[in-house]
Amino acid sequence: ADAVNNPDIVGQPVDGAMGLQPAHSPLKFQAIAFHDHLLLPIITVISLFVLALLMICVVRFNKRANPVPAKWSHNTPIEILWTTVPVLILMVIAVFSFKLLFAYHAMPKPDLTVKATGYQWYWGYEYPEQKIPEFTSNVLTKEDAAARNEPYLLAADKAMVVPVHKTVHVLVTGADVIHDFGLPAFGIKIDAVPGRMNDAWFNADKTGIYYGQCDQLCGVNHAFMPIEIKVVSQADFDAWVAQQHAPAPAATPAAAPAPAAKPAAGKSASAAAPQHLALNTQASVAAR
Amino acid sequence: MASGAVKHDYHLVNPSPWPLIGSIAAFVMAVGGVIWMKGILGFEKHTLVVFLAGLAGVLFTMGGWWRDVTIEANSGDHTPVVGIGLRYGMVMFIASEVMFFVAWFWIFFEMSLFHGHRVLTPDANATVGVAQAWATWPPKGVELVPAFELPLVNTLTLLLSGTTVTWAHHALQVGDRKSATLGLFLTICLGVLFTSIQAFEYHHILADHLFFSEEASNSGLFGNAFFMATGFHGFHVLIGTIFLTVCLFRLIGGGFTPQKHFGFEAAAWYWHFVDVVWLFLFSFVYVILPGLK
Amino acid sequence: MATAASDHAHGHDDHAHTPPFLVRWLFSTNHKDIGTLYILFAIMAGIVGGAFSGFMRWELMHPGIQVFTDNGILGSGFFKGHNGYNAMTTAHGLIMIFFMVMPAMIGGFGNWFVPIMIGAPDMAFPRMNNISFWLLVSSFALLVMSLFTEGGQGPGFAGGWTMYPPLSTVGHPGPAFDLAILSIHLAGASSILGAINFITTIFNMRAPGMTIHRMPLFVWSILVTVFLLLLSLPVLAGAITMLLTDRNFHTHFFDPAGGGDPLMFQHLFWFFGHPEVYILILPGFGIISHVVSTFSKKPVFGYLAMAYAMVAIGFLGFIVWAHHMYETGIPLDLQAYFVAATMVIAVPTGIKIFSWIATMWGGSIDFKTPMLFAVGFIFLFTIGGVTGVVLANAGIDYSLHDTYYVIAHFHYVLSLGAVFAIFAGFYYWFEKMWGVKYNEVLGNIHFWFMFVGVNVIFFPQHFLGLQGMPRRYIDYPAAFEKWNTISTYGYMITVVGMGFFFLLLLEAAVRRRKAEANPWGEGATTLEWTLSSPPPFHQFNELPHISADSSH
Ligand code: HEA
Ligand code: HEA
Ligand code: CUA
Ligand SMILES: [Cu+2]
Repeated sequence: ADAVNNPDIVGQPVDGAMGLQPAHSPLKFQAIAFHDHLLLPIITVISLFVLALLMICVVRFNKRANPVPAKWSHNTPIEILWTTVPVLILMVIAVFSFKLLFAYHAMPKPDLTVKATGYQWYWGYEYPEQKIPEFTSNVLTKEDAAARNEPYLLAADKAMVVPVHKTVHVLVTGADVIHDFGLPAFGIKIDAVPGRMNDAWFNADKTGIYYGQCDQLCGVNHAFMPIEIKVVSQADFDAWVAQQHAPAPAATPAAAPAPAAKPAAGKSASAAAPQHLALNTQASVAAR
Repeated sequence: MASGAVKHDYHLVNPSPWPLIGSIAAFVMAVGGVIWMKGILGFEKHTLVVFLAGLAGVLFTMGGWWRDVTIEANSGDHTPVVGIGLRYGMVMFIASEVMFFVAWFWIFFEMSLFHGHRVLTPDANATVGVAQAWATWPPKGVELVPAFELPLVNTLTLLLSGTTVTWAHHALQVGDRKSATLGLFLTICLGVLFTSIQAFEYHHILADHLFFSEEASNSGLFGNAFFMATGFHGFHVLIGTIFLTVCLFRLIGGGFTPQKHFGFEAAAWYWHFVDVVWLFLFSFVYVILPGLK
Repeated sequence: MATAASDHAHGHDDHAHTPPFLVRWLFSTNHKDIGTLYILFAIMAGIVGGAFSGFMRWELMHPGIQVFTDNGILGSGFFKGHNGYNAMTTAHGLIMIFFMVMPAMIGGFGNWFVPIMIGAPDMAFPRMNNISFWLLVSSFALLVMSLFTEGGQGPGFAGGWTMYPPLSTVGHPGPAFDLAILSIHLAGASSILGAINFITTIFNMRAPGMTIHRMPLFVWSILVTVFLLLLSLPVLAGAITMLLTDRNFHTHFFDPAGGGDPLMFQHLFWFFGHPEVYILILPGFGIISHVVSTFSKKPVFGYLAMAYAMVAIGFLGFIVWAHHMYETGIPLDLQAYFVAATMVIAVPTGIKIFSWIATMWGGSIDFKTPMLFAVGFIFLFTIGGVTGVVLANAGIDYSLHDTYYVIAHFHYVLSLGAVFAIFAGFYYWFEKMWGVKYNEVLGNIHFWFMFVGVNVIFFPQHFLGLQGMPRRYIDYPAAFEKWNTISTYGYMITVVGMGFFFLLLLEAAVRRRKAEANPWGEGATTLEWTLSSPPPFHQFNELPHISADSSH
């Protein structure tokens, strides 16, 4: 597929799937490993163990199989056992859990910073280092999404564009109420809280389109403010940046068929492109 | 177990209309509150009648309820074991009140201890500008109430009232009703003095715009937290004063014996609780937290 | 005995017989009558909350908007559009928690059986007991009013049961949420008064010989629960009071423009909210202990460990609240602390699970309906519990927070945990409370439909959550359809089960088979089984004596 105008959709949910969405960023790889190879087996075994014990009771100790009940009610060794074994299991979990948690908070030196602002009910993206002022990203109508061959409620009219294999630092805040910037394929989810600047990072391993959604109840159109990230090659990214600076911003690659987008609620916001932003990003890295 | 003669000392209360009436009144008061704040059900905003009607109902219920309790107490229903129960009840009630104040203190602690955290997370939202505002504590331009002037006087007032109410209690226990009356009377006076000083201080803060600052967008919050914490405390002082006053009238009217005066004790406990809350407010809200930079 | 008739006159001979109908039910000061009122109230609320979840499941069966149209649910004019869905979800959560589970367990079973189990004639403050109930009715009325009042984005408050500002302040400027806040205030007052009442009753009114360490586990569970209520609800009251003043009196507690911080509300809310979830389950733990021991005809295993495990859970419940806030931007070290603290709760809970199994082990188990629900509870609660442990790990919660995985987690502990415990208790004490027998066959059918149904509803939601489906969505991408459709089928099965439950109630009411004092035989050892079914209007006019060998 044409990487810029018709890229593959890489990060999206699959109907009938039962596990975590496949990983395309280091954090999500680790998260999947932690979940699929440690947590899931442990909780499955515990649940089956409890089920098995219950089944044994049902079979061996029902009133027909065992008419005369025993009367004991204490057994100190076994009580010690079922206290210490869970403690040990939890300690194992905790070791790996902390490793993952600290990995999330040890961002490599970022190559790019994007500021995402949640609005009722769309996203605004700003590239302070590239001096790209905030543009807004609205949900595509059902028809427009179909026209672009993208999934409805995941597709947005204008994607956030980032280069592949680069550490992208996302600064997230909310303008009105709390939203949440969630992107399953990268394993990130961070609240967009008014008055605060949260951050997250990812490093996409593959070009293509990745979808996320707003994960914090934010009002009537909470279900209608998807996140679309387009991961492109560095060259394509540079071209895109240049295009953003071009005087006529009408024809961006992301908006190829120029849909009659929703009567964009978001137009006013793009005007308020804040200025004093770039300097702060490093402070945030340091603070972690 | 046949329902024979009652052979225990617990108090089986007769059916009472007050819970139902009180709940209906509380409902009316709540609806009235929303009418007052927002205007619903065809009422204009700021219409107070419904709220006042509900409030009247609640007060009426309280009056009737406590009247019944007093009658029952005087008719001997409050056996020793029931008296212990009342004590547990009062202690638990005070415990829940303490947790209510935890919420208000929490706000204060969060503001003064963790304001730095919010500065570290850079804020790019020019319209909000929280980061700068939070860089200093107390907020820039906010003038504090000097702790060791009127607030200190108030602290001493409440501490003194704590001793007078204890004096009254001891006097009551040894049957010296005259001293008890005097002690209680003094306590109430000190309570009123506290409230008056607090009112004066509030007036001073508001009239001189102490907490208001153009420079810091969080200055409003400082005042909010201050007034809510001290205001709720003041409200509790008022309740305590009323509670003590009721006890004073009961005392003058011949109520309470050296052995049985739980109503009085409950009022005294409540008063001590109000006192302790004030000590915390004084230490943290007036003295320690504002001093943290 | 120590409590022989004392000198003061117990002159109220009206205690001996039942008061006239209206006085009895409106002005009641009788713990059993008030308990009955609570249970009827809980069933009513369960029907409303269950119906609400039906509309939600119906809407979510397929992508697109079919039920909550712009003309209201099914064109009815009520619950319009997106806002209607959110308002209904919010109400579903609040109703199920505050008006179904809590009234059933604490107000209902607690009122009925705590005094009886400790050998007391009534609650410590019988009149206050009644205002706890009626305040709850007022509170419910306010909540219902709020659903039909303007919220700001349409009728009702649609900001979730967690009420996060700024959505609950500037996001919902209309009066609906003010009504909801006051509704929660009243429900809170009701519960605090109830808590004071229970604590006093349990501390002060135990029959001679009923030491703290001889108390039945259900009493222990209520004792821990009401302590949690007493200490956590006032904090919620403070938090929602701040919401109210932020909305109406120009304060800025949670308003960043005024220096406030929305996260402060979340801290306060979850300081209440997490203990609250244990409030919802602990009485269930108590009920399950009794049911398991009764039907296994074996004393409960590890009584002391069982009691203190609940105390430990209650204590730990207060220091884990921010595991609901991993994504809000709280500092890393705090997150690490909350990960560790949260996981610790699995240990005392595990002690309970294994002790129940050990109680059954070696027993002679009679699988009557209550026991079926109890065994179902043990298994399903374990599933819900272990997914909680998954969520406790912040690193994974970054993928699962606010997705259907969380919905699945808490419905397994609530809708399959707490509700199963309620049904176990309901059937266990059915004859005792109503004085008639229920039909075992209908009870069994009810159980099996529900067991299958709720699993079909909620198990697939784990998959949805892992795939990333966010919660509180009226509409979703087509890729989430399959499991959603199955989940809705599960609801249909559950409703059939509930149909059998109501049929059972009807059958029992019509047939009126006379109840026995103790239908369960030797396994049922607590004091309620020494009384007639239903017990006399006032029990224990002569207090029972408890000796060391009477088991729990
Ligand atoms: C009855 C209610 C109830 C109960 C009992 C629990 C129990 C637990 N819960 Fe749950 N929870 C909720 C109700 C409940 N929860 C609700 C309502 C929410 C969502 C609120 C909202 O956002 O709307 C929620 C959300 C929630 C979250 C936040 C998720 C998110 O929003 O991202 C987390 C995270 O830590 C969590 C964790 C836990 C844990 C660790 C337990 C533990 O107590 C579980 C312990 C039990 C077991 C572990 C099983 C038995 C143990 C064994 C068999 C021993 C061996 C086990 C091991 C070694 C693991 N819960
Ligand atoms: C105790 C709590 C409880 C219970 C029982 C349930 C029961 C059910 N819940 Fe719900 N639910 C919540 C608490 C509960 N829920 C909460 C807190 C939320 C979050 C709200 C928010 O986001 O703000 C939620 C959200 C929620 C959602 C997510 C909505 C969204 O995010 O968009 C969904 C979706 O499927 C759902 C479905 C259901 C279904 C199908 C049931 C079915 O199990 C219903 C079947 C009915 C019953 C099992 C009840 C029967 C009981 C009785 C009739 C009473 C009997 C009483 C006695 C015998 C005394 N619930
Ligand atoms: Cu924005 Cu949900
Ligand atoms: Cu929790």
